Amino acid sequence: MNKALIIALIAVSAISFLGSSCRRDVLPETKGVVVYVSEDQVFSEPVLKDFERETGIKVKAVYDTEETKSTGAMNRLIAEKNNPQADVYWANEPIRAVVLKQKGISTPYFSPNAEGIPSVFKDSEGYWTGFSARARVLVVSNEAKPPRSILDYTNQVWRNRIVIANPLFGTTTSWVAALFTIWGDDKAKEFMEKMKNNGVKISTSNGESTLLVANKEFTFSLVDSDDATNAIRDGKAVRQIYPDQEQDGIGCLILPNAAVLIKDGPNPENGKKLIDYLLSAETERKLALADCAQIPLHKGVDTPVDVKKIEDIKTMDIDYEAVATKLQEIQGYLKEWSGY
Amino acid sequence: MAKKCTLLLIILLLAVIGLAPVVSMFIKSFFVDGELSFKNYQVLFQSKRQWILLSHSLALACATTFITVLLGLALGTVFAKTDLPFKKLFIVLFVIPLVIPSYILAVAWFYFLGRDGILAGLLGANVGVVTSRFLFSFAGTLFVMVSTLLPIVIILTITYLQMVNPRLEEAGKLYAGWPVVLRRISIPIVMPGVFLAGLIVFILTLGEFGVPLSLRFEVFPIESFIQFSAFYNFNAATASAIPLGLITFIVLIVERIFLRKKTFQFRTVEQEPTIIVPLGKTKPFFFVAVSFLAFIFVTIPIAVLLIKSFSLSAYGEALARGMDAIFRSLIYASIGATCLAAFGFFLGYVLERKALRFSLAADSLAIFLFALPSTVIGIGLISLWNTRATNFIYASMAIILFGYIAQYTALSERIMAATFSQIPRSMEECAQIVGAGWFRRLFGVLVPQAKYGIVAAWLVGFIFCLKDLGITMIVYPPDHNTLPVHIFTLMANSPEQVIAALCVIMVVITCLPLGVLTMVTKYIG
Amino acid sequence: MILKIDNLYKSYNTIAAINGMSLNVEKGERVVILGPSGCGKTTLLRIIAGFIQPDKGIVTVDTVTVAANGKCLVEPENRNIGMVFQDLALWPHMSVYRNLEFGLKAKKTPKKERKKRIDQILAKMQMKQYENSSPSDLSGGQQQRVALARALVSQPKILLMDEPLSNLDLDLNLMLRKEILRLQQELDITMLYVTHDRDEAFSLATRIIVMSHGKIQKVGNAQEVSQYLSGLSRTHKTDWKCADDSDIIVDR
Repeated sequence: MNKALIIALIAVSAISFLGSSCRRDVLPETKGVVVYVSEDQVFSEPVLKDFERETGIKVKAVYDTEETKSTGAMNRLIAEKNNPQADVYWANEPIRAVVLKQKGISTPYFSPNAEGIPSVFKDSEGYWTGFSARARVLVVSNEAKPPRSILDYTNQVWRNRIVIANPLFGTTTSWVAALFTIWGDDKAKEFMEKMKNNGVKISTSNGESTLLVANKEFTFSLVDSDDATNAIRDGKAVRQIYPDQEQDGIGCLILPNAAVLIKDGPNPENGKKLIDYLLSAETERKLALADCAQIPLHKGVDTPVDVKKIEDIKTMDIDYEAVATKLQEIQGYLKEWSGY
Repeated sequence: MAKKCTLLLIILLLAVIGLAPVVSMFIKSFFVDGELSFKNYQVLFQSKRQWILLSHSLALACATTFITVLLGLALGTVFAKTDLPFKKLFIVLFVIPLVIPSYILAVAWFYFLGRDGILAGLLGANVGVVTSRFLFSFAGTLFVMVSTLLPIVIILTITYLQMVNPRLEEAGKLYAGWPVVLRRISIPIVMPGVFLAGLIVFILTLGEFGVPLSLRFEVFPIESFIQFSAFYNFNAATASAIPLGLITFIVLIVERIFLRKKTFQFRTVEQEPTIIVPLGKTKPFFFVAVSFLAFIFVTIPIAVLLIKSFSLSAYGEALARGMDAIFRSLIYASIGATCLAAFGFFLGYVLERKALRFSLAADSLAIFLFALPSTVIGIGLISLWNTRATNFIYASMAIILFGYIAQYTALSERIMAATFSQIPRSMEECAQIVGAGWFRRLFGVLVPQAKYGIVAAWLVGFIFCLKDLGITMIVYPPDHNTLPVHIFTLMANSPEQVIAALCVIMVVITCLPLGVLTMVTKYIG
Repeated sequence: MILKIDNLYKSYNTIAAINGMSLNVEKGERVVILGPSGCGKTTLLRIIAGFIQPDKGIVTVDTVTVAANGKCLVEPENRNIGMVFQDLALWPHMSVYRNLEFGLKAKKTPKKERKKRIDQILAKMQMKQYENSSPSDLSGGQQQRVALARALVSQPKILLMDEPLSNLDLDLNLMLRKEILRLQQELDITMLYVTHDRDEAFSLATRIIVMSHGKIQKVGNAQEVSQYLSGLSRTHKTDWKCADDSDIIVDR
């Protein structure tokens, strides 16, 4: 009986092992595409399934977690550099795309569907193209007299009632780096120190920040617009404010998704087709209508009422490449600021 | 000859699967911008902040170990040795938190104890302020870690107490009551098991960052995580992880020194039943106390998850989204558990029987790998196996299995070593002398004697493989995600009900095979 | 009368381990219960010690009823009974000294008195030099002596011995038998000794009780029992059956 059990277990193991599909060898060029996705799965998966249905190209996806929950797609892409497994990377903000360019992991591709997208949201050499953006917005507890500017993080009125996602990770890092490029190191550091002295707490993610504000742990937080819109549509008692929209305001940071073609990927032609699909106005429309409520970069795309059009937002005037470079310069400072 | 070759092969496999990736990462940690340098380590050791974080991690690990051992020993003793009513139900209940990813438990407690949580809703906002402060602190972090890891101590205490020779207890009973016999005879005899439980809890807490991070308690492993996730600096990340391995080595040495003369013979060959102590008049007290602990540690977080997921549509959506991941989780965890049981069987044999000269070194290797952050092992696996020549491994589920073997072999190894400690060598020697070869002795004599240990090793391996996130996240082939990965990738902006429903499903899919295996165990017993 | 057993019954499932047994033991007696394996001798000892309860019948130790009709009236630790187990059951995590001290400590004997008694008994056993040793460091014979010393150090009313010499070689067996005799006579302790070995029984007992089928078959001194057993073997040859229905060949 025991021998039989052991042999059965080994047989099951062997069959499962043989039965599992290989990434590269059983994905002939015409049949599939591998995409690593940092955009939230709940929003990105339907788009990829639509692509699969419309083109007949099988999509195999690796999704990401929020940065502070575990290491994920970026680490895999970097680690797999010598033998890339992915064809496309769907980044949820352009800084990661710039990092991949700097590390020689991506390759240029100028998609025809990129034409309608403003040049500020594209890499001039074609290493990444932005689409469907998020804005860095303030999510505010409904009861409070609302803040209007990121400078309210240093306002004593809000002392100990403010939270921000960990500035070492994700879009918050990009936001801080953007401030450094606009204000210069001194002013930016002064702002950061004032914010800290004003009792700002650090959460693990924008999603958690939103949750904490919704649960009245804090009064407001700077998060991504999809987190805020999602919470509002979910019936949470919060509102969303685009900061610094006055004429002399610095505007709010816009972070588009970025489509990246991976260098030496197994299915480059299918990868290009996927990028074309992601950059289409139709995809932008879907992502605007979805709960992520992302802002289309193509003109004239239908959006729901609670999604602002890009032309209606005063955006922060930045160069993403410069932000990516600055980000790497200030990593040590951010680590210290965060208390690590 | 066959014995030596087999055992050496297993150790070699562990070295290739587990050690080689880590060594390659370790060597790279001595390079900065392509040049040989100690900078990664200098920065680490010269930073005051890192020493403070290390002290936080050590404090958390020590406190968690102390409390879980104290509570777990008491609960395990009550479950193993007394006639407490509904014992089996309590055991299943207390195991549940081990199955749930610890971060999810932290979130469940947040929903309950947060400023706007369920408790605040029942008792008022002022209570919410107090409970929120408690949760987001060392105390709160400690509480969540204890609730997650308590099952380990309970399970091992029960397992070891059931191995104690009843004659030893009866001899004590001639002179003293059960409290004294349990305190001075039964429990001291199972100290090796208690130490093992403490070691596992210590290592797991030391390497934990998800719960402390979300509860805003700063700990050392965050450094390695930051280097990976924020800076993409693999070399610095590996350097940051090495101290965790070193601390574990120190604890291992302490364990070996303390237990050197304390490897006791347990129950004899005859299957004498464990003596059950009647609680008598104290039964209601114990029942209430255990129920209260079960309520605090298990019922509350599970109830929160159930409340959050309470709609058929949530479960419908969770199943629709997650069916493939559920199925894959069960398959991978089953195969992983089988591999771990096999590795643990042979390595446990090496350790307990001192079958090879470097038996302690093999054990140290397994424990070291267990202590290392999963990301270090994961990235190491990628760097070693992601080549065109070895793509057939990297591009298949084998890479996930390699991760499981590298990370969790120590668990099954130690369980099997404990099992072998109660099988007299004379059993094998007798078979050897009548002419049975190594494999015949193995399958004909050892495996039947060790069947309960094998099942226990398989179950523990199954639980840990099923709930693994760190390794799987890094290496899983596209479209081959498992349920924990699925939960975490969906967590961002998915409806809370769906996430909660997926967690409940995860508990169910873990408990079902446990139930099946309990029946199989009874059948083979 | 130090021990009285009245009409004792004990069954395991449908098998009667003890099938209506009555026995009186006087103070200072050396009673040996002789019978093949599986015939209820160990069950009887365990009932007297209090580890299991009889289904029916009464057990009285030194005029105190300790068990009656399925109920334990006095816990084992309060019966003042010493026992040497078949596998000795020495506590592996305690030294020889601590093994002996355990019972005395439990009974709150003062420290000086504990030391005195332990030293005395170890001297009697010629084991004083091993008092700090671990049981696993001792030979089989030495472990036997420690087990015996442990049973005697608390000055029990009755000493129960469950085939304590069965695993020893003949020389050691003979030597320890003499020690047991000597100690029993020196301490004037009531002894209930269980064995399947006739020679042990004949050399140790003041009274032998032959058991089979859970019942007393014969009570007598060595000569009477010897004649009885010879008669059995002449008339019944090898059909001395036991509770588990196995055939046991009676030693000639």
